[in-house]
Amino acid sequence: MSATRIVITGMGAVTGFGFEWQTLWEKMLGAEHCVRPWQPQDLHENEFPVRYAAPVDMTLLPGHLQNHPAWTRLLEKRSRFGWVVATQAVADSGLNPEQLREAAVLCASGAPQHMLADMLLTQAPDGNAPDWQHLMARATEVSAEGSLRQANDRLARVIADDLGCEGPVINISSACAGASQAIGNAFQMIRRGEVNVAVAGGADSVLNLDTMAALYLLGAASGEQRWGADLCRPFDRDRSGLIAGEGGGFVVLESLEHALARGATPYAEVLGYGSSLDAYKVTAPQPEGRGAALAMQAALDDAGLQPQQIDLINAHGTSTPLNDVAETLAIKQVFAQHKHYQALAVSANKSQFGHLIAAAGAPECIVTALACLNDLVTPTENLHEADERCDLDYCAGQAVSRRVDYALSNSFGFGGLNTSLALGKYREHGQ
Amino acid sequence: MNRALYINAAAVLNAAGSECADLLGTPPVPQPLAFDPQRKALALPVPRLASDLFDRKIQRSVEPQGLRLLHCAARLAPALAALQLPAARIALTAAIPEVDAPSPCWDAVQAILEQPQKQLSQLLANTPPLHALTLLNSSVMAYVAEALNCHGPMGGFCSQNNAGLDALIEACQQIAEQHADAALVVSSSPNLTPALYLREPVLADEPVYGEGAAALLLSSTPLQDATQILRVAGFARGYSADPQRTLVVGKRVIERALSEEKLCMGDVANVVANPADRQLMSLFESTPQHLRNASAMTGELGASGLLTEVAMALHHSREAGAVPGYTLLVSHGRAGHWGALLLASETLEKYA
Repeated sequence: MSATRIVITGMGAVTGFGFEWQTLWEKMLGAEHCVRPWQPQDLHENEFPVRYAAPVDMTLLPGHLQNHPAWTRLLEKRSRFGWVVATQAVADSGLNPEQLREAAVLCASGAPQHMLADMLLTQAPDGNAPDWQHLMARATEVSAEGSLRQANDRLARVIADDLGCEGPVINISSACAGASQAIGNAFQMIRRGEVNVAVAGGADSVLNLDTMAALYLLGAASGEQRWGADLCRPFDRDRSGLIAGEGGGFVVLESLEHALARGATPYAEVLGYGSSLDAYKVTAPQPEGRGAALAMQAALDDAGLQPQQIDLINAHGTSTPLNDVAETLAIKQVFAQHKHYQALAVSANKSQFGHLIAAAGAPECIVTALACLNDLVTPTENLHEADERCDLDYCAGQAVSRRVDYALSNSFGFGGLNTSLALGKYREHGQ
Repeated sequence: MNRALYINAAAVLNAAGSECADLLGTPPVPQPLAFDPQRKALALPVPRLASDLFDRKIQRSVEPQGLRLLHCAARLAPALAALQLPAARIALTAAIPEVDAPSPCWDAVQAILEQPQKQLSQLLANTPPLHALTLLNSSVMAYVAEALNCHGPMGGFCSQNNAGLDALIEACQQIAEQHADAALVVSSSPNLTPALYLREPVLADEPVYGEGAAALLLSSTPLQDATQILRVAGFARGYSADPQRTLVVGKRVIERALSEEKLCMGDVANVVANPADRQLMSLFESTPQHLRNASAMTGELGASGLLTEVAMALHHSREAGAVPGYTLLVSHGRAGHWGALLLASETLEKYA
């Protein structure tokens, strides 16, 4: 592989904790989570079976973002979050418009949203079966902010248009691995010399009636009420399913040469990216974690790292019964033959800000970069009694101060689409 | 690229037919859309999946664009198997539009319309659990991976008409960087639904859309008995929605695709591009090549358009009397995406 080094020089994150990555980091180190009672806004009858989520709290919107055009443009909610996040990441990087001219934009923004209200426009006036022709006759009533009006790559293009980026503009679609794939592909594009700068990440918001109903019907979202808001419990024996969050994350990646030439200070270095397919079942991960292990090993190989060099794994850690066991087994497959593996720190960010679905990998990559920068590992919350098959050091309950030279950030998508990013502490003279 | 990349096999499905040779026939006549008779398009019946590769429930639970893609992918199974590669060395990349409909499913919509005061209970009671998977094009990738035993690198893309090129480039790079030895690249056009006509940007000259799919098999080695091969020789992509900048970006993308082999336009034998795209045509005003594409035969195929053209180039390269040379494929979407792909048709003796 070429000697081009790729660094993170800008970050932006919007989660239930707020609108800035600094807030996210501070709250996570403080062992807080932002899961709270939630019901879909558009529901007007009995309670929705999923009772908790980690929504973005608009009352936390800081003054300097209140006039951002994302809040007034006709966009899906996920695109509003994503545009704001990308703007913040670029501002954080200090890049100017000319430096962004040939930049790439890579973005994962999830599945179409808010379909139900529009679908009801298919009602036949004569009581016959619903049909698209009736919706077309009422086309002016179709929501301008819904997915029948908004192309799926809308967010990526809005960001590129706003920033004046003329490099490749790529919308990623690989379910919950999406944002991680976006960052991994951006890393590869810079390493190959296709671009010098990339804005990469994702944004998603599934906190609406139809998408949450879909996640619930699939058995992915937890309807558990025993634990109140403390129900996102990765690796715990009482975990019961994912808790959805919303928001997004973007990072600015650039070649180290480009970053140093303009006087930027990197947060961390991206060293490798790996992906794989379970090829097992569309509704479940491969039980031994075969695909996840392949992705982690591919990331290590791509980075030129040995397993014993890894200090931290930012786990996919969904709090679903199947994922957390399979991921633990996968980690053991890759790491267990090395003595240090019992000291390996494993942390699950979803226990603190929920599952951002297509965007999940982006804020988790940011948290991983900050762990490398600060030698601090955020905790896995609500892990009180580990599943007996989950026997790693998950940093339960409180942040851990430990040296983090190298880390992996895992994201595994529905259908067995697996990604892993290898990050490292930025060092002036290389790894 | 530090490793040669060959397009070894292709499968297409579109209004012209299911063979590349069908694209050389008489253009089919667009038909009025059921949901909007004022508009015409080239729709397809839902294909039947090979029952030896796919579980029968997939035929019922996957929506049409996914079924078209699976149909094409399945036809590459023998060529892929012939490579005798370990599953972890086979990559899968996909260009699949997100599904616009039916989501939620029609049964649930009808039930809610009948009892709107019971919206939630009707939604939950009338939506089959697996229906939620139709929201996710990743589920289609999972079906392909499972049926064709691909465990290697993956990538899913959804950038309108450039998604096919994004998927192809990712597959090429995975092979070039030796993360894989072969790759399936699969794609599908969007279903013909109102979303195609209601989404921005609003078009003054709306194209005739078509339904279709295309799949390619790429490998680091040519087919065992091949005498003519089709090699990926270069690619580039860019974006601009700014009318003042778009031609600059388009020109740059074309030059970059040619630069990998240090070519100029004069070295290119064939240019495949949409002759109805005025901006794109203006970039070729001074070149002698005649621009053509298959859209009259297929309708506008969106994400599967470019791969359909690649399949056609593979077909031409294998025709009796085929002349070696370069083919440049250029795509330009109304949203602002630009893409260019350079293919080299060669006789294998060159590598002997």
